[in-house]
Amino acid sequence: MFSSSDAALLDREPRYDDITCSLASVNRLPAGVISETRELVAMARRFSDEVVRPRALELDRMKHEDPDYLPWDLVEEANRWGFYTMFIPKLFGGQGKNMPGLSYVLEEIGSACTAISNLIGVHYLGIGTLCGSWNGRVMNKVMREVAEGERTGKPCLVSLAITEPGAGTDVEEVDLIGRAKVTCHAEKVPGGYRLNGRKIFISSGHLSTWHMTIAYGDLENPAETTVMLAVRNGMEGFSFGRQEHKMGQKGCPASELIFEDCFVPDELVCFDSVQADKLSKPMKAITNQLLDYVLSASRAGVGAFGTGVARGAYEEALRFSQETEVGGKLLINHEWAQVLLAEMYKNVAMARLSYIETNYANGMYGLFKLLHYKPIFYCLRYTPQTFIDRFLKPFLEKDFVTWIFRKIYFDWQKPEQGERTSGWASLSKFASTDAGVKNSQLACELMGGAGVRTDQMAEKHLRDSKLLQIYEGTNQLNRLNLFKCLIGRSAPQSKVFED
Amino acid sequence: MKSLLNSELSMFEQTVNEFAANELLDGRQENDRFPFAPLFEEVLKKARAVGFFSVTLPEELDGCCMGTTELCVLLEGLSRIDASLAAVIFTDTLAKEIVYRSKGFLQLADFLPKVSEFEGTLFAFQAQADPAECASVSAEPAGEDAWTLSGKADYVVLGGIAHNAVIPARTGAGYSFFLVDLEAPGVTASEPVLSLGLHACPAVDVTLDGASAALVGEAGKGAEYFGRVAGRMNTAAAAMSLGVMKGSFEEAVDYAKERQQGGRRIVNWSEVRRILARMAVKVKAADMVVTEACRAEEDNIPGWELGAKAASLFAGGASIEVTTDGIQVLGGNGYMEDYGQEKRFRDAGQIRSLMGSTPMRELALMGKVLEGEPLY
Repeated sequence: MFSSSDAALLDREPRYDDITCSLASVNRLPAGVISETRELVAMARRFSDEVVRPRALELDRMKHEDPDYLPWDLVEEANRWGFYTMFIPKLFGGQGKNMPGLSYVLEEIGSACTAISNLIGVHYLGIGTLCGSWNGRVMNKVMREVAEGERTGKPCLVSLAITEPGAGTDVEEVDLIGRAKVTCHAEKVPGGYRLNGRKIFISSGHLSTWHMTIAYGDLENPAETTVMLAVRNGMEGFSFGRQEHKMGQKGCPASELIFEDCFVPDELVCFDSVQADKLSKPMKAITNQLLDYVLSASRAGVGAFGTGVARGAYEEALRFSQETEVGGKLLINHEWAQVLLAEMYKNVAMARLSYIETNYANGMYGLFKLLHYKPIFYCLRYTPQTFIDRFLKPFLEKDFVTWIFRKIYFDWQKPEQGERTSGWASLSKFASTDAGVKNSQLACELMGGAGVRTDQMAEKHLRDSKLLQIYEGTNQLNRLNLFKCLIGRSAPQSKVFED
Repeated sequence: MKSLLNSELSMFEQTVNEFAANELLDGRQENDRFPFAPLFEEVLKKARAVGFFSVTLPEELDGCCMGTTELCVLLEGLSRIDASLAAVIFTDTLAKEIVYRSKGFLQLADFLPKVSEFEGTLFAFQAQADPAECASVSAEPAGEDAWTLSGKADYVVLGGIAHNAVIPARTGAGYSFFLVDLEAPGVTASEPVLSLGLHACPAVDVTLDGASAALVGEAGKGAEYFGRVAGRMNTAAAAMSLGVMKGSFEEAVDYAKERQQGGRRIVNWSEVRRILARMAVKVKAADMVVTEACRAEEDNIPGWELGAKAASLFAGGASIEVTTDGIQVLGGNGYMEDYGQEKRFRDAGQIRSLMGSTPMRELALMGKVLEGEPLY
C-alpha cells in the first residue's frame, strides 16, 4: 500500500516526478507517435543521403569563399521535402507530425551537417516562439503562410530575434533581463508598436520571411514590459544588416536585423503586457513561463543538434578507423581505438537519452502537452484537412480561443511542471552539446593529421559543434538554470544570479 | 619562459613581439581566408628579411645558429597573434633540420645559395604526420645517386609554395627521406587542401609518378634522422601551442573585463572567473613545461628528448582545452572571425597533430619509457 510517508519519500530530491518523465508518459503517449517517428527517421535519413551529405562540404566551402552566400537552393529543397510544415499542427495548416519527432529528425540531419539541420531546426525555433505566445490569430496567419510557401515552392521561414549586441545570455533569463543592456525598444503608439533597435546572431535571419521579435516597452524595466512582435520582410523600417562570419555552421546564416521606426500593427502583436492583463499572473511571471515553454522545446532541439554532431564525429572516426592502417594494422583493431570509439558511442547515446527525456517532459508538462493529449492527437490526425480549414480555422481568429490556450498554458501550469521541463531542457542542452564538442575533438585526435582535413569531415564537425555550447543560452547559463530549477528550490538559502 | 631570457634573448623576444603586432595582427583575419584570399607573401618575405627562417641552422646555410630556446621564443611569440607564420617556419625548419642532421650540410650548402627567390629557399614537409606512417610513397634506385619516387604524399605542408619538399618514402624495410623538386616532371600537386586551421600555412596533396629525387643521407635511415630532430621540434610544437594558449587567455581576460551581462562585468561572475582561472593554470603549467624542456636540452640532461615529447603532448592537449574555453568566455563573439579566438581554437587543433596523432605519440613515448629511457 502506498502511504503518505511513501509520498513524502518520493518528494525527496531527486523528486520522483522529475526522474520518471518517460515512465509517466508511457500510457499518455498516443501509439501513433511510434509509427510516425519511425517514418520520420527514415525520411530524414533519406534526405541526409540524397541532399545533405552530397552538399555539406560544398556549402561549407562556398560560405568560406563568399561569406555573403545564401543557401536558397537547400532551403527550397527542404521546402520541397515538406520539412517546414512537418511539425506545424494541422490546425494551422501544417502536416501535424508529433513535435518530439523533430528532435530525431534534427539528430539525423545534424549527423551529416549541423548547419543544414539548423536550416530546418531554427525555423521551428521561430514557430515554437510564436506557439509559446498562444496567440491564435497570429499563429494562424504566419503558419498558414508557411504552408502556402510549401504549396507554391517559395519557402516561408520563421526566425526568432532575441539576441542584441549588448545582451545575449541575459535576455534568455527573466532574472537577468532586468539588468541587461537591451536596446530594442517597442514604443506603444496608436494601432500598434513602433520598433527601434538591432538584433544580432539571428539564425536564418536572411532566409526567413517572418521574424518573431522580442522587444521591450521600457528599456529600464524589460522583464515587465516584454513584447513579442511578428515582423515580416518588407515592412517599412525593417532591413537586414550583415551576415556574421562564423567559424562553423557556415551554411546557416547568422544575421543582423535592423529596426528603424518600424511600425508593427496590433494584429501582429503576439504578446504584450496588455494581453497579459487577461491572465491572473503578473507579467514577469508570464514572461518567464513563455520563455521557459519556448526554451524547453528549443533546447531539446539543440540537444538533438549536439547529439547529431557527436554522432557525425563518431561515424567519421569509425569509418576512418576501418580504412586506415597504423603501425601495420587497421586502426579499428587497436584496443585503444576500440575503447575510444566506445566512449564516443556512449556520448552519443547519453546525449540522445537526455533530449528524449526532455521531450517526454515537454509532452507531459510543456509546449507539446495539448498536442499529446490523446483525444486531440487522434482528432487532428484523422480529421480531414478540409474540415479543419472550413470549420475549425475560423475559431482560431476568436479571442476566446487565445484566452483558453493561455489559461491552460500560463494560469494552470504548476510551478514544478515548469521547473521540470526547464531543468531537463537545460541538462540536455549542455550535456548533448558538450558531448558534441568532445566527440569532435576525439575524432580529430583519433584521425591525427587526416583529422585536420576538411574533406575528412571531422574538423567540420568540430567547428560546427562549438557554437552549440554558446547559443540558446551558454552552457554556463544552462547549468545555472538547472541549478535554479532542480537543485536550488530545495536549498532555501540559495540565491541564483546574485553572485 | 621568462626565466630563460637573458638580455640578448629578451631583445629577440621584443623583436618577435613587435613583428607579430605590426605585421600579423591587422591582416590576421584576411590572411586566414587563404585560399580564397592571397597568401601573405609580403609578411613571409619580411619574416625572412629579419632572420626568422632557418634560425637553428648555421650561418652558411642562411641561418642564425640559434638553439631550441630561441626557436621557441620565436614560435611562441608569433603564435600568440597568428600561428600560421609560426607553422610555416616550423615546417621549413623541420624539413631543413632533417637534411642538416643527416649530415646533409653539403647538400643544403650546395642547394640553398643557388636560389634567389624566397619560395626557392622554403622546404615543404608532411608536418602533420609521423613520417613512419607516410608509407604510401615508394622509392626505386635509378642509377648512381639517383632515385625515383612513386605514390601519393598527403598533406605536404607548404607544397603549394615551396619549390622543394623533403618526402619520406619506403626503401626496403625502413624509410628514407628524399629531396624532391616539386616542379619537376612526374610531380603533380593538388589544389590547396582545406583544413581546420593554419590556413595561411597551406598544404597540398602531391602525386609522384616516377619523379626524380635526391636521397637525404643514407638509405633506410629515415627514422634515425627524424629521431635526431624530433626532440627539438617537439619542444617547438609545444611552444606554438603555448603561444596560442597565451593569446587566447589574454583576449579572454581583456574581453571579460569589458563585457557586461546581467548588469555586471562578466569577469566578476565567479563562474567566468573560474573558467579564466583554469585557463591561467594550464597556460602557466605549459609555460613551465616548455621552459623546462628548453633548459633540459640546453643542459643536455639525460632523457631531455622524452621530456620534449611529453611537453608537446601536454601543451597540445592543454591548448585544446584553453582555446575551447577562450571562445566560451567571449560567447557568440568568440565564435566569429572578427575576434581571434575561433582561429586560435582551430589552430590549436592543427598544431596538436604536428608530427603525428596524439594517441600514437603517446604510445611511442610509453614505448621509450618501457625500453628504459629515464622519464624524470
